[in-house]
Amino acid sequence: MFVLRRGLLAAAGVATAATLVSGCSPSPAPGGTGSSAAPAASITELDYYADEQGSAAWQKILDTCSTQTGIKIQRQSIPTAQMLPKILQGASSRSLPNLLFTDNPTLQQVASTGALTPVTDYGISTDGYYPSIIKAGTYQDKVYGLAPGVNGLALVYNKDLLQAAGVQPPKTWDELKAAAVKLSGNGKYGLAFSAIPSEEGTWQFLPFFWSNGADLSSLDSPKAAQALQYVTDLVSGGAASKSVVTWSQNDVADQFVTGNAAMMINGSWNLARLDKETALHYGVVPIPVPQAGGQPSVALGGEVGAIPITDAAAQQAAGKVLSCILSDPTMLEWSKAHAYVPSKTAVAAKFGAETPAMQAFIDEVGTAKSRTAELGEKYPKVSQALADAIQAALTGKQPVDQALKAAQQASGS
Amino acid sequence: MTLTAARPSVTRRPAARKPRASDRFVAVAFLLPAIVYVVVFFGYPLVANLVMSTQNYTVRSFYTGEAPFVGFDNYSAVLNNPLFSTAALNTALFTVGSIVFQFAIGLALATFFNGRFLGSTLLRSLLLLPWLLPLVVSGAVWRWMFDTDHGVLNAALRAVGVDPVPWLTSTSWALPAVILTNIWIGIPFNLVILHGGLRAIPASLYEAAELDGASAWQRFRHVTWPLLRPVTGIVLMLGLVYTIKVFDVIMVVTGGGPANATQTLTTWSYRLSFHDFAFGQGAAVGNILIVVATVFGFVYLRSAKATLAETAS
Amino acid sequence: MTGRLKTAAGVLIVVVLLFPLYWMINASFQPSGALLKPDPDWFPVGGTLDGYRKALSTQGPNLLSSVFIALGTVVFSLAVAMPASYALAQLKVRGGPVIVFVMLIVQMIPGIVMANSLYTVFSNLGLLDSYLGLVLADSTATIPFAALLLRAFMISIPRELTEASRVDGAGYWRTFFSIIVPVSRNAMVTAGLFSFLFAWADFLFAVTLTTGQTFQPITVGIYRFVGNQSADWNGIMATAVLASIPAAILLVVAQRYVVAGMTSGAVKD
Repeated sequence: MFVLRRGLLAAAGVATAATLVSGCSPSPAPGGTGSSAAPAASITELDYYADEQGSAAWQKILDTCSTQTGIKIQRQSIPTAQMLPKILQGASSRSLPNLLFTDNPTLQQVASTGALTPVTDYGISTDGYYPSIIKAGTYQDKVYGLAPGVNGLALVYNKDLLQAAGVQPPKTWDELKAAAVKLSGNGKYGLAFSAIPSEEGTWQFLPFFWSNGADLSSLDSPKAAQALQYVTDLVSGGAASKSVVTWSQNDVADQFVTGNAAMMINGSWNLARLDKETALHYGVVPIPVPQAGGQPSVALGGEVGAIPITDAAAQQAAGKVLSCILSDPTMLEWSKAHAYVPSKTAVAAKFGAETPAMQAFIDEVGTAKSRTAELGEKYPKVSQALADAIQAALTGKQPVDQALKAAQQASGS
Repeated sequence: MTLTAARPSVTRRPAARKPRASDRFVAVAFLLPAIVYVVVFFGYPLVANLVMSTQNYTVRSFYTGEAPFVGFDNYSAVLNNPLFSTAALNTALFTVGSIVFQFAIGLALATFFNGRFLGSTLLRSLLLLPWLLPLVVSGAVWRWMFDTDHGVLNAALRAVGVDPVPWLTSTSWALPAVILTNIWIGIPFNLVILHGGLRAIPASLYEAAELDGASAWQRFRHVTWPLLRPVTGIVLMLGLVYTIKVFDVIMVVTGGGPANATQTLTTWSYRLSFHDFAFGQGAAVGNILIVVATVFGFVYLRSAKATLAETAS
Repeated sequence: MTGRLKTAAGVLIVVVLLFPLYWMINASFQPSGALLKPDPDWFPVGGTLDGYRKALSTQGPNLLSSVFIALGTVVFSLAVAMPASYALAQLKVRGGPVIVFVMLIVQMIPGIVMANSLYTVFSNLGLLDSYLGLVLADSTATIPFAALLLRAFMISIPRELTEASRVDGAGYWRTFFSIIVPVSRNAMVTAGLFSFLFAWADFLFAVTLTTGQTFQPITVGIYRFVGNQSADWNGIMATAVLASIPAAILLVVAQRYVVAGMTSGAVKD
C-alpha cells in the first residue's frame, strides 16, 4: 500500500539517520595513561549513595578531597538498580564519568569491556591493602578498581532476647540452630536473613557456602549440598521465617529492629541505624562456622573506585581525587561515617581499636573472599543460578541436591 | 446498531462523494506529526532491538560496538531454556487473570458511578488514586499487606476464621498475589475509560428502551454493550499490551520469585539482559512478546474494522 | 437504588478499594518499619511528622518539576494525537489500519530499550537534563495511547456533523476545531488525564535522562529515602502522600469536564 511503502522507507531512513547521530559521538581523545598531561580542573563522578545518610557522608568525602586537590567534582548519584544501565548507556555513548564507584562484581564486567584504566597508572599503590580487596578489583592481572572501604556480613543479635532465653551468642552451626530454635515461637523467629532471587540472596548465602569449603565452580558438590541443606532446615524447622525468600537486607534489618527476629545476618552498614534505636541492645559476632575453631569465609562487599577512559587531563584529575579518597585519613573518615571496614590492614586495625562493635567485621575481612576472584565475568550467571537453587530449596519446590544440580547446569560452567 | 435516534437537522442531504485527492492530502497532513514522531522516536529502538536479538551482545559490545551475528541462536536458546515454558505460562495466567477482573470490575464500577448521586464525581475521582502512586510505594504497601505473619490480609482472614495464606512465600500463591496487586492497580484505567464511553451514550436511548419495557439487564445488553464496543475494544487491547509489559509491579512485590513462580516473559527478559548479561537473548524474548502482541493486534483490527463499518452505515 | 443508598454503597466501595492507600497514609505517620510489628497500629496513634518534615523540606522543587513535565506532556501529546485520531477515525486514509497497528505495536517495546536509545540520541543532541527532552521522551508512552483512545471515541461521532459543516463551506481545519474538538471533550479529558498520569509516574526516563544536576522529577527524588542499605519508609510514604495531592486535585478538576451526552445539542432528534 502507498502509505505502507512510504512508511517503511521513512522508517529505514530515519533509523539510519538515528544510527549515524548516535554513532557520531565525539570520540574521546586517546586517553591511555597520559601521565604527561596536566590534570583538568573539574571531573564528573558517579555513585549510588542516593539515600540521605549515605549521600551526605559521601559528599563530605568528596568535598574533603575536592579541597585538597583543588579539583571540582560534579557528582551524580543514582538508585542502586540503575547503576548498571547507566554504565552501559555511558559506555555506548562514550560518555562515562571520569570517576566511577560501583560494587565489585560489576567492576569485572566493566573492566572486561576495555573501558577502564588501571589505577596503578595514577601512582596509586596497592601496598597495605587486604589481598582479597586487591583481588576484587583485579581483571586479567591489572588492578582496575580499589575500594576505600569494604563491608561484609556478620551475625547481629539482640542482647536482651538472648539473655532472656538463656542463650549464648552461637559460634558453630549446631549452636546457631539450637539458639534459633529456642528463640522462635509466637510469630517470632530466631534468625532472619535474605534469600531473594538476586545477587543479594547469593551474597547472604555465600558465608555458609564458603565456610563449609564449597566452591562456586561446582555448585552441586556435597559440601555445597550440606550448606544449602543446613539453611533449608533452619527454615523448615521454624527457626527462620518462610518469608526470607521475600526479604531484602533492608527488610531483614526492619524485622530485627521490630523484634520479630532475635538474630540476623546482615552487614556493618546497619550499625548506624541500630545505634539510633536506643531501646535495642545489640551485639555482633562473626558468622557461625560448621566446626568449632574454623574461620568464617564471607563475601567481600563495598564499592570500588575506577577511572574509565575519557580524556587524558580528566583522567589525571580523577587519579588525583581517587588517591586522596584512598589516603589513610580519608579512608578512616569514610569508614566511620558509613560503617565500612577500611581496606588497608593498618587503618582497619586502628579503626577496630576505636570502634569495638566493628571488630567482628574487621576480623572477617581478613579471611573474606571476593566473589569474582575465581569466576571473573562468569560470576553473575553462576550467582543467579545459585540464588534460584536457594529459592527452590527453601520453598520446598525441589530437594536440595536436585536444585543444586539444576543450578550447576544453568550456570553453564 | 447505529444511532437511529439522531437525524441531521439539515434537510438537504449531500450526495456521497468519492474521496478526492485533496481529501487524501488533508488526511495525511493531519496524520503527519504523529507519523513523524512515531518514526523518529520508535524507529531506531525497534530496529535496534531486532538487530540485537540476532547478535551475541555482551557488556563489551556496549563499549566497543562489536557484536558477532549469530542468526537465530538467541531465539533457539531462549525457546529451549526450561524457564521459557514457566515464564510463558505465568505470562498467560497473569495477563488473562488481570484483564478479566480489571475489566469486569472496572465496567461494574463505571456503570455504578454513571448515575447522578451525591458524591458520585468525587468518589469516582478518588478511585483514580492508585494510579498516582509510584510503583515502588504501591508495591511496598502490598508486600506488607501480603506478609504471611504480620500482614493485614492474613489478619483479616484470621479474624473470619480462615487459615492464613502464604501469599508471597508459596510458589502456588505468589502468582495470584501479584495478579491481585495488578488488578488493583489496573481498575482505575478501565473505570475511567469505560465511564467516558458510557457517558457518550445518549440518555434518550435508555429512555426509549425503558418505554419499550426493557429491563435493566436488557437495556445493558441491547443499548449499552453494543454502543460501548469501540471503547471496549480499545480498553481490552491496550490493557493487554500494558499487562504483558508489566515489570515494576512484579519486581517490587516478588522479584520474579519465589523460585520463578512469578517470572513472566517481561521480567525474564530483563533478567537475561541485566543479571545474566545475555542482551541478545533478552532482546529475543522482547521480540517474541512483540509477536504475541502483533497477533492480538490483528484480532483487534478485525473487530475494529467491523465496528467502523457498522457505525458508518 | 435510591440516591442515598448509592452514596453509601459508593463510599463502601471506595473504602475497600482504597484500603492500601489508607495503609500508606498510616505508614507515613509512623516510624519506619513500625507496620511490621506483630500487631501493627491501624491508627497512627502517637505518630510522627518526621516523614512529612523531611519530605516537605526536600521534595518541593521536585514536585514542581514533575508537574511541569506532566502538563507539558499532556499538551504536546494531545496536540499531536488529536488530528491523527481524527484522520484515522473519520477521514478515509489509505493504510489507516496499518498506522493503527503500528501505534499498538510500538507500545510493546520494552522501556529499557527505549531509554537506552533515547539516552544515546539525547546526549548527542544536548537534550539531557532538559524539560523538553523529558516531555518528548514521556510522549513516547502517551502519544500512541492517546491516538488510539481518541480514535475509539471519535469513531462514534456521526458523519452527519462533519458533512453538514463541510457542506456549509467550512475547511477541514475549521471543521476540526469547531466541531470535532468540542464534541470530543470527554475523550480529550480522558486521554489527557492518563497522559498526565503516565508522565507523572514515569521513573525510567526520568532517571535515565537527568543527571540530578539541575532538576529531578519526584519519582527520582523519592529515592533519597531508599538507600542501597536502608529504606526510610516513613519518608517514602510521606513523599508519596504529598506527591499525590497536587495530582489528585488536578484529577478531580479534570473530571468535572467529563459531561454526559457527547453529541447533546449538536444533533437534533
